[in-house]
Amino acid sequence: MSKLQRKARGERPTFFQDPNIDKVIAMVMGLAGEVAVLRDRLDTIEHLLEKKAGIKRSEIDDYKPSETVSARRAAWREQFLGEVLRIVEIEKEALGSEDGQPYDSAVALVEEEK
Amino acid sequence: MSNENNPTMQAEHKVSTPTNHDEFARQEFVRSYKQYLVKHVHGTNQLAYEKRVKPKIKHDKGRDPQNRFEVRDEMVADPQYQMFSTLLRTSQEMMWSSCQIPVQRNLKDLNKKINKRQKTTLGSLRLDPELKTPGYHTAVDIHCMPGGYHSEFDKNDASAGMVYDRAVHIYAMGQMGPYNDDIGASIALWLKENHPKFQPVKILDLGCSVGNSTVPYVDTFPKAEVYALDVAAPMLRYGHARAEDMGRKIHFSQQNAESTDFEDESFDLIVSHILLHETSNKAIKNIISECHRLLKKDGMMVHAETPQYKGMDPFDAFMLDWDTRNNNEPFWAGSHEIDLGQLSREGGFDPDKNFETMIPSAFQVAEAKRSLTFQGGDFGGGGFWFVYGNKK
Repeated sequence: MSKLQRKARGERPTFFQDPNIDKVIAMVMGLAGEVAVLRDRLDTIEHLLEKKAGIKRSEIDDYKPSETVSARRAAWREQFLGEVLRIVEIEKEALGSEDGQPYDSAVALVEEEK
Repeated sequence: MSNENNPTMQAEHKVSTPTNHDEFARQEFVRSYKQYLVKHVHGTNQLAYEKRVKPKIKHDKGRDPQNRFEVRDEMVADPQYQMFSTLLRTSQEMMWSSCQIPVQRNLKDLNKKINKRQKTTLGSLRLDPELKTPGYHTAVDIHCMPGGYHSEFDKNDASAGMVYDRAVHIYAMGQMGPYNDDIGASIALWLKENHPKFQPVKILDLGCSVGNSTVPYVDTFPKAEVYALDVAAPMLRYGHARAEDMGRKIHFSQQNAESTDFEDESFDLIVSHILLHETSNKAIKNIISECHRLLKKDGMMVHAETPQYKGMDPFDAFMLDWDTRNNNEPFWAGSHEIDLGQLSREGGFDPDKNFETMIPSAFQVAEAKRSLTFQGGDFGGGGFWFVYGNKK
């Protein structure tokens, strides 16, 4: 009683051949989420410190971001996700360009160049 | 932790779940994460398909893929699609988790507050502890919400409603408005603009969950009596308290839309909002027949869904079908391949009075006017909802 169920009923799909890869990605994103939480907390502290020197923990917990602050934080998170998921963006950039030749073709080109 | 001065956030009412600084930040991260996938990762699947998968199918079969199953057989082995899928599934799980944390922390107090609010008497709440939760709700927890809509973890529990109300705002990335009411608001606006003489005096919302889509009908048709039903008591407890707090008169009852206790021909308008795909092949037919029984002559039923797969490119249909297998939506594919005209006919409706159309999102139209920088993702079909219905 009184403890919420944490797992959704139903078999969890896996997408990679080794299901542990799916789990590691979930861990990485969980960690990224906690970094973003820390970053927002730091941003709040900086914001409050700009107004006065001494702040209480309750002031941090009660802080409500304005629309401007929310938009700034959302922009930061998008950039942050872009860094964490850079490897995924690389695939998009490669697929979207003609950068699809096997690496060996470059080796062959420079070795055979007379 | 939203506030009135910030329309990008969810509006608060007295039964909203309070979040502390870090709980709110965690939810905001999930919203950004979902937005990021829509904006930067989703589209890469099409590139992988065009550059790698489609040429392979063409090579192997000597022709283009003819249906979403042939696309699926090859796409599931593509590393881009695998990465996208695992990221999307993870975002869904993190969404529910981030919404559960503040509910769990305050569960006893929140339930006490919500149950106290049931005593107020604008509308009403009628629960039926004997009602059997249908198999399509208990087989798996729909859209991966732990415990589904129906499970109770405390006395007179409303936790499913608390978690759901917050999660919908994150899932929709705010695009359903501060009150998550866009689907209802869009249908109400569409009715007003396209059927100006239609003035329903009794309205029923099927599968109402927390009543977020029900509220706009109270505002658009202030003289109407508005009823809403759902199979899940925790949703209704929360939904009723929420409606009372927002000053909206709605009569909630715990019933199955397949077979209700309302009298024949008692409603002018029956609506549902992304309900049909959560049911089953048998239930969807029962629901349409029940609509026919409940509607008065010249009454209308309107059901909002995402568009049918029919006529769609095999790749687009495959991508739309993602939720069937990966987000605990077992009837998603089935419901998107039903012949809606035939469904109406079998339910007793005149097929000549059937309609299927795309209607503009009321919130997105308003938001585009409010903020020139507003940019939608692909939720809701990019500013449109698909509606299906029939006049009686």
